[in-house]
Amino acid sequence: MKLKNTMTAVAALALLLPVAACSPSAPKDGAESQTLNVALPTHAWTNAIKESIPEFEKASGIKVALTTFGEDQLSDQYNVKLNTKSKDFDVMMFRPPQDGKLFVQNGWLAPVDDYLKKADAGYKWDDFLPATVDSVTVDGSVYGAPLITEQEVLYYNKKLLAEANVKVPTTMEELEAAAAKLTDRDKGQFGFLSRGQLSASVTQFSSFLYSFGADFDNGKKATLDTPEAKKAYEFYGRMLNQYAPPGTTEMNWIQAMPIFAQGKVAFYTDVSSLSPNLDDPSTSTVVNDWGVAPFPAGPAGSHPYNISAWALGINAFSESKDAAWKFMEWATGPDMSLKLQQKGQSLARASLYSSAEGTKGFRDDMIAAIKTSTAPGVAVGHDRPLVVKVSEAREIIGKPIVTGIDGGDVAGAIEEAQTKYQQFLDEETKA
Amino acid sequence: MSSKRLAYPIFRIVMLTVVVMTLVIPFAWMVLSSFKSNLAITDPKQLLSFSPTLANYETVFGVADFLPFLINSLVIGLASTLVSLVIGVPAAWVMARYQMTKSSTGVLVARIIPTISLLIPWYYIFAQTGLAGTYTSLILAHMFVSLPLIVWIMLGFFEQLPIDLEESAQVDGLTPIGAFWRITLRLSTPGLATAGILSFIFSWNNFMFALILSSAQTRTLPIALYNFISYASIDWGGLMAASVTITLPVCVFALIFQRYVVAGLTAGSMKG
Repeated sequence: MKLKNTMTAVAALALLLPVAACSPSAPKDGAESQTLNVALPTHAWTNAIKESIPEFEKASGIKVALTTFGEDQLSDQYNVKLNTKSKDFDVMMFRPPQDGKLFVQNGWLAPVDDYLKKADAGYKWDDFLPATVDSVTVDGSVYGAPLITEQEVLYYNKKLLAEANVKVPTTMEELEAAAAKLTDRDKGQFGFLSRGQLSASVTQFSSFLYSFGADFDNGKKATLDTPEAKKAYEFYGRMLNQYAPPGTTEMNWIQAMPIFAQGKVAFYTDVSSLSPNLDDPSTSTVVNDWGVAPFPAGPAGSHPYNISAWALGINAFSESKDAAWKFMEWATGPDMSLKLQQKGQSLARASLYSSAEGTKGFRDDMIAAIKTSTAPGVAVGHDRPLVVKVSEAREIIGKPIVTGIDGGDVAGAIEEAQTKYQQFLDEETKA
Repeated sequence: MSSKRLAYPIFRIVMLTVVVMTLVIPFAWMVLSSFKSNLAITDPKQLLSFSPTLANYETVFGVADFLPFLINSLVIGLASTLVSLVIGVPAAWVMARYQMTKSSTGVLVARIIPTISLLIPWYYIFAQTGLAGTYTSLILAHMFVSLPLIVWIMLGFFEQLPIDLEESAQVDGLTPIGAFWRITLRLSTPGLATAGILSFIFSWNNFMFALILSSAQTRTLPIALYNFISYASIDWGGLMAASVTITLPVCVFALIFQRYVVAGLTAGSMKG
């Protein structure tokens, strides 16, 4: 009898536990239509706009609920939740180069063309940098407002250059000569550094490719084996093989940037948005010694990428699209853009780089580099192939880079990559 | 002669060093780094000589506010383990005593399915029932993994226990369930400890389920770790301090229950 009671109690407890445990949850469904769910990455922009959100809530009467995730985790959220037509978020910050084509093809992003037509004249859509507008446009429709822009630039260590009496290079040839002069393995000092990891290297290699007069493809045909592309592959691989610290084939910016920040490397090509790390005394020993220059010119001139790394879009399944647009219009409008730019963000509106107010938070050499890079006819609007399965393409394209760094047979690797990439493109256009 | 006698101790010491170093170095690096500034972490010269700082721990419990995540992880880990034990242990006993091989194979299938393939249907079901983001959804999801784990550990354990004990208990007047409750369960403490701790550690470390199924209120520690990695900058010091904070409770937990766990893992081989 006693035993039976105990067993009943245990069973009852087992049934109750999950129910009791769910009490502190918050139901998030559209019960209150005026709550806007905004999904953002952990990014300096997110931190900067957070403080201003109460102003928006007050002016619009819309309550904003923010969720933030790491970059890749945010992408995972979208991939799982939007697959089930989730209404969990209304406004979504996304990465046009990496996710844009996929999200549009899956019908997850709502086009904003109609909103742009109706938008207030003060919003000034034509102020956005053309290359960034391209990155959120698919088949003639606009799917978001560009936020953060990024260009590839040449970081250099002023102290090392002065010691060796080397000028800041403006061409690839000068860069190689300077890197050779500044490499002193016995002292643990190296001339050049850039990303060398299979997939991560592709974006930083892209500017080299464009500046040698090549591209990944022409939309249908792979162009990795043109004479220009071959030269770019050989150059990038050779630079990292001969003048860079060991182990570059495992390096993304996470590994490479700290080596430059420790003052051990003379030249480092990477994205402009990394510069706050170099200015922070808690992560950098080169706070007073680093400089930045526009991307050096190759045989075809200087053609760094200029991309919209992040954009704001609207979930196609959202039931509060009008409110979502209101938030987007406010967050990417001229006033808020200026405010965030002054907090150190590099935003996509052209006017910000020509006014003294917009460039207040920037170093002179950074502003000069950005301006040179974003001038019409210089910048290229993509830093990776414009395809749906970006990760797969990057792994194919990165192979010859890694082969080059390891000192292997680059020509053979290019041939193989060209064949594979062509097959990849054929399948992608078929689908 | 003497060289032969020396060979084994030397081999032993070398192998032990290699194995211990492989296991300990990453852990030691993590603990050391948690007391360094970000600059010292990336400077190989300051590997062992550096000026220690507590700033990273201040970040973890101050700015990053890890306490709620710690509580969430504890609630989910303990609840999913307890409920799984309550359901799984009697189930395993029945399967062991009545040779229900089809049922036990069925449970095993749940372990074989890659859990990532379940995330989309789960999220869909939980979102439709209004449970998405609640403790309940996370506990149920974790139970999907911990329940089969517990059933299989206990299954092997019960099969090793001599059935004579239960039979003589029944001769003395106990029902089969009474014999299970008063005799078998008391003898199974090592197995219960092993199953419980492994299930808890799984839940504590699980990232995938919590990433999709948790909300801002129910976020667990592994997800919160990623707060230290933001676009174009990583707070290595904070990340390492947070990792130590996450690892420490499990270490303490494991040390306390260690003797039971070891006994549980070797119980079968001892009896034969």
